[in-house]
Amino acid sequence: MVRVEELIENEEKRVLVLGNEAIARGAIEAGVQVFAAYPGTPSSEISMALIAAAPELGFYAEWSTNEKVSMEVAYAASISGVRSMIACKHVGLNVAADVFYSALYMGCKGGFVTVVGDDPHCFSSQNEQDSRWLGVSANFPILEPSSPQEAKEFTKMAFEISEKFEIPMLLRTTTRISHARADVQFNKFETTYRDGELEKSPRFKCLPGIARANHPKLLEKNETIKEWIPESGLTRIEGPEDNQFGIITSGISYSYVKDALLMLNADIPILKLGIVSPLDEKSILKFAKSKENIIFIEEVDPYLEDRISALLVQNGITPKIHGKCNGITKRYHELNAYLVAKGLESLFGSKIADFKDIEVAVTKTEEYIPFRPPLFCAGCQHRAAFYELSKVVKKNDGIFASDIGCYSLDPWVSDTIVCMGASIGMASGFSRVIKDKPIFAIIGDSTFFHTGLPALANAVYNKANFNLLILDNRMTAMTGFQPNPTEDIPIENVAKGLGVEYIVEFDPYDFEKGKKTIEEALKHKGPTVIIMRKICANEWWRRTRRKGEKIEVYHTDPEICIACGTCIVRYQCPAISWSIDTNSKGKQYTVIDSSTCTGCSVCSQICPTGAISKVE
Amino acid sequence: MEEEYRMVLVGVGGQGILTISDIIAIAAQKKGLRVLSSEVHGMAQKGGSVITNLKIGKELHSPTIPVGCSKALIGLEENETLRYMKYLEPGGLVITSKTVLYPVTWKKDKNAAVLAHEKIDENLSKFDARIIRINAEKLASEAGLALAQNIVLLGALSQIKDFPLSVEELKSALKTRVPSKYIETNVKAFELGIEAMKKAN
Repeated sequence: MVRVEELIENEEKRVLVLGNEAIARGAIEAGVQVFAAYPGTPSSEISMALIAAAPELGFYAEWSTNEKVSMEVAYAASISGVRSMIACKHVGLNVAADVFYSALYMGCKGGFVTVVGDDPHCFSSQNEQDSRWLGVSANFPILEPSSPQEAKEFTKMAFEISEKFEIPMLLRTTTRISHARADVQFNKFETTYRDGELEKSPRFKCLPGIARANHPKLLEKNETIKEWIPESGLTRIEGPEDNQFGIITSGISYSYVKDALLMLNADIPILKLGIVSPLDEKSILKFAKSKENIIFIEEVDPYLEDRISALLVQNGITPKIHGKCNGITKRYHELNAYLVAKGLESLFGSKIADFKDIEVAVTKTEEYIPFRPPLFCAGCQHRAAFYELSKVVKKNDGIFASDIGCYSLDPWVSDTIVCMGASIGMASGFSRVIKDKPIFAIIGDSTFFHTGLPALANAVYNKANFNLLILDNRMTAMTGFQPNPTEDIPIENVAKGLGVEYIVEFDPYDFEKGKKTIEEALKHKGPTVIIMRKICANEWWRRTRRKGEKIEVYHTDPEICIACGTCIVRYQCPAISWSIDTNSKGKQYTVIDSSTCTGCSVCSQICPTGAISKVE
Repeated sequence: MEEEYRMVLVGVGGQGILTISDIIAIAAQKKGLRVLSSEVHGMAQKGGSVITNLKIGKELHSPTIPVGCSKALIGLEENETLRYMKYLEPGGLVITSKTVLYPVTWKKDKNAAVLAHEKIDENLSKFDARIIRINAEKLASEAGLALAQNIVLLGALSQIKDFPLSVEELKSALKTRVPSKYIETNVKAFELGIEAMKKAN
């Protein structure tokens, strides 16, 4: 992460930053005054940077409980005349959809920008949603930057366009823009923040009569923007004018096209769209008119391809269309320069290397390469919680609806993971049709506050019989240890307030008590709430080390250890490995790495021979 | 420099790959070259397999390096080196640490780990590459900082013939990037990496 001092320094200079940090800088240069977000990869660094910068520069920024709330916070600021922004991941945009479908109708005043980070290839996500569809269906104008530098510039432009046309803007990035690091030119900025003022007007009430009038106005705005795009500089044509081929692309795909053409040694005209909705029809039609072949290069969905193909037909222009429709690129996973070049080579009659030898070598060696899945950290309280659960659930053949967070990594018990907050609703549903097995919902503190609350109210009201396990690790750990309401709002009070009658709490490191508590809860009619509370071990470990405090670690007695594998193979603590040496019986034993052990003690509790103890 | 320099850095999350790619980027920027790297964040960060793509040049476009297109591969863990060998261009250069970090899957199957280690040379040599293996674990300990295996490899890569940055440029970037109380040990690790590479050459 770039240091906050560097991020906010009011100088003209080049700085090495992530695409996400470039977006944050763009927002600062644009004078953003209210920022709100819920974390989510690949968007989180935008928010972390702005929330760190806010107190330094004197604007307002918050971690909201979910994306919908964050958008409401920012939208209110915008219609009060100040510049505001939110950032979220693609699936977070779905949560906010209820707000922006109406907000688009009503328009805005201060520049209002939504940044969405899509994740082609599902690096850290549950799907490959292409948010351009969601954006265009709500009539959002959508900007798509192709590099970290453009990400910064487009963020600034998004505020300007939003204010000029009084319309909320969507800035769409993908993982490879958000998490690319590059040297980005920073510019000077002004920080003249001011108070907002709400102009009393029926415009901001989306009642039927007003909405009916607002809809055509929204479409008119999009028409006006469409006419304005050619003078905005957002559309760029590169390469020779006279060619039978033409490539239309946007966002990260433009960078792949550039490198692919170098690989192919081909000079082909490119139409690069900086704004992908509304479409810059004038430039597109002019570009396509003289071409026999139009090639669309874009990741995941054929968004440009479908929309522009229709546009060409409507205007009587009929080049041959290449893209997803004839397999030039795939409709899933991310692209790269080679995949684009490979897709294009037959069209241009050129040939690029096949790397057959590499494929052969990969086939010959892959059986030796270990699968290295992401794991719970050493000392993770979730591992302890799930291990306890696995004992109880397996015994009772339980059904287990899990949720989104670090705990999605559970290797033992989870049956379903759907979306943020779904565990509680799913468990309610299971309880209606599966009568002979215990039903569990499991959710983290942050996800509980995100979308778990209405689901729990529903479960209490409709008397759903299941056990809700809340893993309260005191923060939103998965996305980078962000704070959330669990700091100030005790979850047991929330559950009690919602009418839950049976509420218990325990420390997941206390293995025996944990098992007993869960078994006891099963005797009660649900929904019951079991809170497993322990600070995130990783963050606790870092804080403790930073303070220079001693961590009481554990070790194995080589002579008592029988190498049964309970701590290594079953419990899977990454701080434990097999010894290189053997003990006096000629057997390997387990070794605990004192530099990563957090002293959680769980291994010593589950060791069947009592071989593990605290280092005295 | 005419063309862009493409390099992949691989290892296990937590080994300090981002730190060395950062140092290279700082040095390149100081020299007035453009840098573009692509990193892995989020889920795979800790204990997972990690690859960083790094490009240095005058005009850069896409942030990722496709299979068969990287001039060099720097590996902090030998099995991860093997995993990502496919990214190397034919005849490219590999500098890999001999370090082995056991994934959970191998804790179940001890023989697989032994076999993989015995076969590592043979497996790496199935790819068309020049391979240099360095005992980074030992050299880092010698330097007095067991964690500085990544810096040993940074020293080693400074010796790559067509690498666009010099030893001095990398060393001065290193000094700006590591905590001040560890500069001396890191520089020592860096220098031990240079020596190891000179010996291998």
